Amino acid sequence: MKGEKRKVILKEKKVEIPLAKEELEVVGKQVIRKDGYEKVTGRLKFGADFDKAGFLHGKVLRSPHAHALIKKVDVEKAKALPGVVAILTAEDVPGRNGFGAIIPDQPVICGEKVRFIGDGVALVAAESEEAAIEALKLIDVEYEPLSAVFSPVEAMKPGAPKVHENGNLLTTVRIRKGDTEKGFQEAEVIVEQTYSLPFVEHAYMEPDVAMAIPHEDGTITVKGPMQAPFTVRRNIAPVLHIPISKVQCVQTHLGGGFGGKEDSSIDIGVRAALLAWKTKRPVRMEYEREEVTLSTAKRHPMIIQCKVGAKRDGTLTALEGTIYNEQGAYASLGPIIPPAGGTHAHAVIMLPGPYVIPHVKVDGYLVYTNHPYGGAMRGFGAPQVNFVHESIIDELAEALQMNPYDLRMKNCFELGSVTATGQVLDQSIALKETMRSAADQFEWFKRWRPPPSKEEVEKVEKRRGVGMAIGWYRTSIGTFSDGCGANVYVHEDGSVILHTGITEMGQGSHTVLAQIAAEELGVRIEDVRIVVPDTDIVPEAGPTVGSRSTTLMGNAIIMASQAVKASILEAASEILGVPAERLVARNRLIFDRDDQTRGVEFKEAARRALATGKRMMGQGWWAPPRPSFDVETGQGYPYFVYTYNTQMAEVEVDTKTGHVEVIKVVACFDIGRAINPILVEGQIEGGIMMGLGYAMMEEVLLKEGKVQNLNFQDYMIPTAMDAPEIVPMILEDPNRYGPFGAKGIGEMPNIPTAPAIINAVANAVGVRIRDLPAHSEKVFHAMRGRRG
Amino acid sequence: MSKSVIQMEVNGRSVSLEVEPDEMLVDVLRERMGLTGTKVGCREGECGVCSVILNGKLVPSCLIPAMKADGGKILTVEGLEKDGELHPLQKEFLNKAAIQCGFCTPGMLLSAKALLDENPEPTLNEIKIGISGVLCRCTGYRKIIQAIESAAKSVRS
Repeated sequence: MKGEKRKVILKEKKVEIPLAKEELEVVGKQVIRKDGYEKVTGRLKFGADFDKAGFLHGKVLRSPHAHALIKKVDVEKAKALPGVVAILTAEDVPGRNGFGAIIPDQPVICGEKVRFIGDGVALVAAESEEAAIEALKLIDVEYEPLSAVFSPVEAMKPGAPKVHENGNLLTTVRIRKGDTEKGFQEAEVIVEQTYSLPFVEHAYMEPDVAMAIPHEDGTITVKGPMQAPFTVRRNIAPVLHIPISKVQCVQTHLGGGFGGKEDSSIDIGVRAALLAWKTKRPVRMEYEREEVTLSTAKRHPMIIQCKVGAKRDGTLTALEGTIYNEQGAYASLGPIIPPAGGTHAHAVIMLPGPYVIPHVKVDGYLVYTNHPYGGAMRGFGAPQVNFVHESIIDELAEALQMNPYDLRMKNCFELGSVTATGQVLDQSIALKETMRSAADQFEWFKRWRPPPSKEEVEKVEKRRGVGMAIGWYRTSIGTFSDGCGANVYVHEDGSVILHTGITEMGQGSHTVLAQIAAEELGVRIEDVRIVVPDTDIVPEAGPTVGSRSTTLMGNAIIMASQAVKASILEAASEILGVPAERLVARNRLIFDRDDQTRGVEFKEAARRALATGKRMMGQGWWAPPRPSFDVETGQGYPYFVYTYNTQMAEVEVDTKTGHVEVIKVVACFDIGRAINPILVEGQIEGGIMMGLGYAMMEEVLLKEGKVQNLNFQDYMIPTAMDAPEIVPMILEDPNRYGPFGAKGIGEMPNIPTAPAIINAVANAVGVRIRDLPAHSEKVFHAMRGRRG
Repeated sequence: MSKSVIQMEVNGRSVSLEVEPDEMLVDVLRERMGLTGTKVGCREGECGVCSVILNGKLVPSCLIPAMKADGGKILTVEGLEKDGELHPLQKEFLNKAAIQCGFCTPGMLLSAKALLDENPEPTLNEIKIGISGVLCRCTGYRKIIQAIESAAKSVRS
């Protein structure tokens, strides 16, 4: 492929991108992350590290009831407490009393009723944190408890308590492809099972914080760890009843987000802004760990019935599924953003897996309950349904007495395959190659054995087993509003400023995006500075979600870079007397591609460009090809490109205790092009570890609507002791629409890990766990059940 | 109990402060001394992001009353760099991409430092045990472990 160029249509502009890695100076290199030095020295300021002087302390009074009417809120005693500056109740909200990433159905302050334990019923601002905490105790709220509903299946029944006025069924999404009745008639083997997935917590290490500063000109600034500053701004303005142009949201580096800080930063940001607006003073709010777990979004729990049929030779004929997706008290990121945005539509679209199945029928119900709410969490509905399709494919393989690898290879996507939504996969699809590479590395065919009999399991104390799972994940969010912009400024000394609203939350986006700008401009990575995302300065970028940052923003940055580079090349052309079309910019030099001895320094050309009045900035805006999706039939092209992945796991199960140790995970990805391979590996390893937690230990425990495990003493996440050997592998089948061929990587690694591990457990000891997590006790009881 | 004056040596600098009986070391470091490199994640001693080295031992500074640190020698992340030169652990965390969001990084670096001070040639399992008190949600620990392995080599050589 060396030297090959391909034309790429980025909106209206045609761009030439070198495909050969050898030609690239910055992209594809293991550049040290730009924020690394500040992070290893402790210099980098997170939200909680900014000076608190001059700020009031804000607190939220939270409902102890899962579902209750608010009869009366008496704030008089609390108001009289020295140091208290304001106590706000629902009637103090100047504008819309609601927020939410999609539908503003969550009250900033509940007025009529509360819908989950943790709902906000009053806000306090005080001179000291102690006074604010004391004031919370003095607010007297009279509740009239209502019957509550804690399961999506119960909530769908007639007569169930209504969480919201319009009923509990929030959204229904279906897929109708072919005729499943016919498909199951053609099947020779059918497997049908029900699986369930729990609420899990993002457990980002940095608790939420927000600082709101009102200004005399009627504007307001809100700072904090926002995963999506534009979404926060969009929510603050209507609550304060002011135009969006008067709200400035400034991101502080996120101490982890994983989708969680898309929601939580709205919650805390809107409330801090309201307190600042009413008191006319700067207000700082910080949620303690317990408060984060109690009140912010989690991964949606789901109950999923699935049925799959195949011919004797393993050819899939039909799949049916019903998803009961528990939304909890508020809509968050559950419902549809047209045409295919939102967690629920994504879960439905992903349920049939990366398989060619002629007949598919899926019904997905998104249902309100009186639990905390489900939102975005790494994988956005996909980890749940991937667990289902990858478990049931293994169960089918067992029924067919086939190697599960062979069953997958026979049916999975390849170039030209048609998905359950009718989408033709016409480019950048190396799923089968990821299977082959992972299998070679893992030595799958040497190590896989059919599951053991009961007697074989009982013979030994520890048994090893292997399992695999495959997956696909979108790049982009499937909405019409998926565009993003970038500005690139070149200065007369050759240094560059990049304006992007994509946030840095640890994934390394600001390093990768700077690499893209540097490569395109022909400067070094250290020449590019990315400003902190500030909605007053940077163009709209959409949210930092959906594994979209590198690809979508990367394209916008290429366009912006090219626009300003044109000036620099024009100036260089004037200096060198060589036509601009013949000039190449690389590593701070601009030279004649036909005579590489003729060149000029980038900074010299930049100086001349400014001195001769040329344009010193470039703007870029990129949106993916327009998505399509019909929620009644599930047909359409919801996302423009997908990342593909195979994971293989080896486990050791203690047959006496049920304890499972994950020994090794091999994971191979087709990501189009790795802009920074070591950062890609970081995403892979971290995602797998989070998937291991999902498989083995993580679950938000709820009792009558109340979270039982609020802190890390009870809510377990993997420690270094749980870390298996991980072998990350990267394949690159370039994406026609991606910068340098890239596609997304942030979420994919988190998706097939849990089923790969659970399939390995089944392979080791012959028991199948269909409800996560598979903690020791559950595996122990499953083995005992099999014995008894 | 009432306020009392404590003396500490923090990153080689001696300080004298009047503290409240319920004031925790983490708050003294962060709020009174401006050493915000030490983070707060759970206030329960479970997440380890507040870890500092007190008299040679790794401690969760959110559980240590400041009064207990009286007379003590404390090392925080700000004290790892010497004369503009990064500590080998800091260098290797950068080289091996052992950092993502960076929120656990200070606690992780100090737990690794405490480990290497006591055991300059740790095995893989000893490294895992050594850092198991600090939670990291981003990295999957693998690159952190690799960074510690390489830093151990460079400290020895």
